[in-house]
Amino acid sequence: MIVYLRSGGKLRDVLRPDIDDYTRKVEVDDGLSIEQILAVLQIAPAMVAFAFADGTVRKLDYVPTDGETITLQSPVAGG
Amino acid sequence: MPGSDDRSARNELHDPTVGLSSDDRARFSRQLELPEWSEGTQADLRAANVFIAGAGGLGSAVALYLAAAGIGRVTLADPDTVELSNLNRQILYASGDIGAPKVTAAAARLTSLDPSTVVRPLSERIDERNARRLVAGHDIVIDCLDSLASRFVLNRAAHDMRIPMVYGAVARFTGHVSLLRPPETPCLACFVPDKEPPTPTPVLGCTAGLIGTLQATEAIKHLTGIGEPLAGRLLVVDTLALRFDVLDVEKDAACPVCSGQDAG
Repeated sequence: MIVYLRSGGKLRDVLRPDIDDYTRKVEVDDGLSIEQILAVLQIAPAMVAFAFADGTVRKLDYVPTDGETITLQSPVAGG
Repeated sequence: MPGSDDRSARNELHDPTVGLSSDDRARFSRQLELPEWSEGTQADLRAANVFIAGAGGLGSAVALYLAAAGIGRVTLADPDTVELSNLNRQILYASGDIGAPKVTAAAARLTSLDPSTVVRPLSERIDERNARRLVAGHDIVIDCLDSLASRFVLNRAAHDMRIPMVYGAVARFTGHVSLLRPPETPCLACFVPDKEPPTPTPVLGCTAGLIGTLQATEAIKHLTGIGEPLAGRLLVVDTLALRFDVLDVEKDAACPVCSGQDAG
């Protein structure tokens, strides 16, 4: 399946966007969770706090559907 | 700070339950003209008692805008002193404040902005031993802390004391805001995992100011009952891409803080 991964901040450095400045198109096996897709891309799960898709916050065990855009969010803790 | 004792003495005499003075009518005239606003709304703010955890980049914007809006009482907790590297974002402070306790400098700044605002400075670090005691008696808690560990402590205290909390966090060009009031909404531990990023966090000062300003707005909306609160939703801001995403947040049935509660 095709999944579009989007990110800003520090994650963009490791995501290596190719669609635009923030988005990378990846082709992975059906049924993979976000965490499993990150493993395929060799992105450490510690770099991603959560994701969001279709207007809802998703944990990393969320399984995207074909063609879905997933925005990855780095841990944010500054004040 | 010269004059701060005088201001504190005047503050002790202020009774936030008394109606608006002629000075207050002039001071707040531009917001009193808002159709959503009234003298009663303004009186609600004067009667409010707000706990601001952290007096850094977020806390600066939150405290200044709440004092400017006419909040009656503010407790400001932060154990640090002002450093030169704070001044790109911590707009409560000026170069002359370097070396001073943040909460002392902040109290002087806030009471110079509005002498009727009662500021209670607490030069304490929030931890598991003192968190519940510190937040007790406040109408709302505003999270302007600089670590996930301390945020989780504050989240649990606010949850246990049934005090709503405005969550805010910032890093680089990104920020988060949400109004947490479990059991109606998720708590922080429902959607933020315990993944502490490295410190210090690089940040553009105006991004911190934007997030703090949004936190102040949510606090004012909650205290006055106007508008649509960011309850059960998370605002994710990316100022580099200039994106504002408002996301639904679901409760975690296995949340170590708030699971097992009945909503409503």
